[in-house]
Amino acid sequence: MYPIISLSVTGLLTLFLGFSENKKIVFPASIAFLLIALATAFIDWNAPGFYFNDMLQVNNTSIVFWAILIISAILIMGFSEGFERFEFAQPAEYFAIVQFSLVGAIMMVSFKNLIMLFLGIEILSVAMYVLTGADKRNIRGNEAALKYFLMGAFATGILLFGMAMFYGATGTFNIGSGVFIGGDNSFFLWIGCTFMLIGMLFKVAAAPFHLWTPDVYEGAPTIFTAYMSTIVKTAGFVALFKVLSTTFSGLQDFWWIMIAVLVTLSLMIGNIGAVSQNSFKRLMAYSSISHAGFMLLALLGDHENALGSIMFYSVVYTLATISAFGVLMVVSKERIEKGRVYEQNDLFKGLAQNNGFLATVLIIAMLSLAGIPLTGGFWGKFFVFRDAASSGLFWVIIMAVLMSAIAIYYYFKPVLLSMSKKTSLESITINPLAKFIFAITTFGTIVLGIFPWILRSLF
Amino acid sequence: METLETIKNLTMTQWSFYAVSVLTLFGALGTILSKNPIHSVIYLIMTFFSLSAHYVLLNAQFLAAVNIVVYAGAIMVLFLFVVMFLNIKDEAPELDNNKIVIGASIVGGTIGVILVAAIRLTESQKIDPSTYQIKTGFIETLGQLLYSKYLLPFELVSVLFLIAMSGAVMLGRKEKGERNF
Amino acid sequence: MDSVFLIKSLIILGIFALSLGIAAYETYFERVIAAFIQDRVGPDRAGPFGLLQPLADAGKLFFKEDFIPTLADKWLFILGPSLAMLTALMTSAVIPFGDSILYDGHEILVQGIEVNIGILWVFGVVSLGVYGILIGGWASNNKYSLYGAIRAASQNISYELAMGLSIIAVLMMSGSLSLRTIVEEQHGMNWNVFYQPLGFIIFLTCSFAECNRTPFDLPESENELVAGYHTEYGSMKLGLFLFSEYVNMFISSAVIATLFFGGFNYPGMDWVYSALTSKMGEVTGHNLATLVGTLVFFGKIAFFIFVYMWVRWTLPRFRYDQLMDLGWKGLIPLAVVNMIITAAAELSNQPLLVNWIGLGVFIALLYAGSALMKSKKTSV
Repeated sequence: MYPIISLSVTGLLTLFLGFSENKKIVFPASIAFLLIALATAFIDWNAPGFYFNDMLQVNNTSIVFWAILIISAILIMGFSEGFERFEFAQPAEYFAIVQFSLVGAIMMVSFKNLIMLFLGIEILSVAMYVLTGADKRNIRGNEAALKYFLMGAFATGILLFGMAMFYGATGTFNIGSGVFIGGDNSFFLWIGCTFMLIGMLFKVAAAPFHLWTPDVYEGAPTIFTAYMSTIVKTAGFVALFKVLSTTFSGLQDFWWIMIAVLVTLSLMIGNIGAVSQNSFKRLMAYSSISHAGFMLLALLGDHENALGSIMFYSVVYTLATISAFGVLMVVSKERIEKGRVYEQNDLFKGLAQNNGFLATVLIIAMLSLAGIPLTGGFWGKFFVFRDAASSGLFWVIIMAVLMSAIAIYYYFKPVLLSMSKKTSLESITINPLAKFIFAITTFGTIVLGIFPWILRSLF
Repeated sequence: METLETIKNLTMTQWSFYAVSVLTLFGALGTILSKNPIHSVIYLIMTFFSLSAHYVLLNAQFLAAVNIVVYAGAIMVLFLFVVMFLNIKDEAPELDNNKIVIGASIVGGTIGVILVAAIRLTESQKIDPSTYQIKTGFIETLGQLLYSKYLLPFELVSVLFLIAMSGAVMLGRKEKGERNF
Repeated sequence: MDSVFLIKSLIILGIFALSLGIAAYETYFERVIAAFIQDRVGPDRAGPFGLLQPLADAGKLFFKEDFIPTLADKWLFILGPSLAMLTALMTSAVIPFGDSILYDGHEILVQGIEVNIGILWVFGVVSLGVYGILIGGWASNNKYSLYGAIRAASQNISYELAMGLSIIAVLMMSGSLSLRTIVEEQHGMNWNVFYQPLGFIIFLTCSFAECNRTPFDLPESENELVAGYHTEYGSMKLGLFLFSEYVNMFISSAVIATLFFGGFNYPGMDWVYSALTSKMGEVTGHNLATLVGTLVFFGKIAFFIFVYMWVRWTLPRFRYDQLMDLGWKGLIPLAVVNMIITAAAELSNQPLLVNWIGLGVFIALLYAGSALMKSKKTSV
């Protein structure tokens, strides 16, 4: 509850900071605001409860997710240091929107009422539409923002329709096991379940609702691509889990097969689509689709473990993605072509020779995304496979393992390029804050790869 | 003959319901079928208007008025405004592409069939007129609900609007060296 | 029951006929007032004092050739003026023109319909009013018409916001959306304008803009856009456009009188009521008192119609950017301030006092702030 209040207030404060002559204070102030929100999140630790007539559910699980969301936001925003130096920058608006969007994400992981879910999704999505188009002079960015907005609005409409059907069937917006399942009204419940799934799967970019992903990831400024591939995904999966495991748990026989098919589709489209990509951001977009598939696997298993697996997977994925996009941001700054930063895969050519630190960060991130042992990604995959295996879905698991093998091929493309002798880059400058963030993400990936139980034992 | 009898025995409310429903569906069909985007928008306005009439039939007067003020009165004016600025006639892509039409009809038809089936299979709960609270749709009831049970979402909507507003200002602001038109 | 129904129908018919009749004679008075302000004679040929002038105008408009441009969208071209007229006439349904008529033991309200969302109905129909202009202007297939239509749309949207916000302040005071309740709250001389001077000014300005009257008549500004949205119109279609403007004026005057000037309330109405009922008996006295109230209401309406005309012939037209600046940067913030002051006043025990104190504090702050800005600028 407290981080919602804190972030709403500090977001407003940040907007007012935009009036000050000195634009430099906005960045440290926003980071401080996010840290305050992080601190307030733990006020309710070990004090589970419901707030505002069962609108919000607070317990230790949701607090862990709040912390994950806020920490990822801090890590990502760390890369925007020095950004206010640009002539056209409007830092106050960006940071305010980021803080407001976190309110939405927090609502999505701790809702108890579908209205709160809808509102959370909307707050997060509207913020993402705006941030996608934040680079106004980039025509690809404008296109991406418009595409994302139109499709996202449509998905929201479908989600809302599903919620209306759900309300028609049960007479309540509250999620929980107490609702009336089965009987004559279950047809509406089925329709509601399907439509709500469609709307939410769109937000987490699972196939076949993934069509926006490559274009939007490519068009958006890299920092916000990182933001939407980590925070939106984490919040979206928790929301999916909450809806499916509570309200629709009685309908498991119904949605189970849908999710299984979607997992297969996401894995195939994501991994096979990524193979032929030359742009690093498009590659990451397809990789994000495939990771959506892996995370959906956890939903197929037994609900006791699923949330822990989702949590672990999203932490690992977030760390690796922040590393990857961070390296892209730092390196692509050095090579401007036609007035735009260069974001193709061969940007990384000779990175190892040029800057060993960045190359290490990139390689470890890629290994983690591919799921190689001794990185966090391996355990993330291991846990979701184990969950799926507990429900006896071996054909899906075989499929997933095969697709992981394909994934190794394309994740190694940038790695191999960075090992090559020829380099196209001058020396690369990294500011100390970025270095610090890289250290955290890389260290975290490796620690979780060696001692996964540190995080897993939280649940 | 039997249908004729039923038609004769319709009450005033039923008559209005059917008339308004026909108007709504006509407007909705016109929206998607007309080739001229301006006509589409006008049909859509008609749809919103007849939806408002439905709200009135359900005794939700406030909802009806707000639907007119916000959707028909403000959003659709902006829609019309923008559509009029675009000269769509000249550069319209081939929208009468058969594949799209066939695909859309199949998807729409399937969903329609499913919904109809669901409605037929569901036993609708009849409202008992004697216990029905006439004030259900009134603004007083709505206000009380918004400020008590749904207080948190109601307040958090302001965050959504604030994002939308500051985002619009951010994206729409004129920058140095940019021309107006 | 039938006679009650009959009386109700008669009232509705009367309101309808009155709006049309008053609108017709507004055209006459517009010319008379224009002539007075410009020191001319004005219409004096048709009938005594030119009183038959509106009839002559209508006759002329009816018998002119009805004309539809070749490339115009025929149906929308016809729909435009019809919609303008329709929306103009729809608003009067919820306005309480008087108290009630006692007949046969029934109390019949002098009002089309009494709904609990009265003011929202007015607001909704007013927001629809722009469609007539928008559709008509587009269907003409003429650049000037389109410009006029688009100006009308953006102007209406912009001023609707401030208007709605100023209405909210009134609603906070009365606690109801029903226009009748709002009027009954202002019994006697307890008019809202004394509590809401700022709100009244904002509402008046916005209603000028919503009616497309000078100084906000940019949609038809003749020196820029020929005749704006009705450039291509002739005959009675043009007549409907012009007529709807006058009906709108009548209705908005009625709404202003209802919201801020007590509707059919007037000082000393209780005394008049008791005097009439004691002299003429319960029923006749009540009905006569209602009649007096209605007449007072029409007096107020006439005054505001005069204000409309007075402003038209005194103030020059805004430039487009000035209009937008006034709406978005001037009236909306002011309306928000007004809303906050009203909210504070309603929570206190002395709404009247707190309203004025709040207004005074706001003006003082505004003055101090602008002085501070000025000194800062000169010092730098």
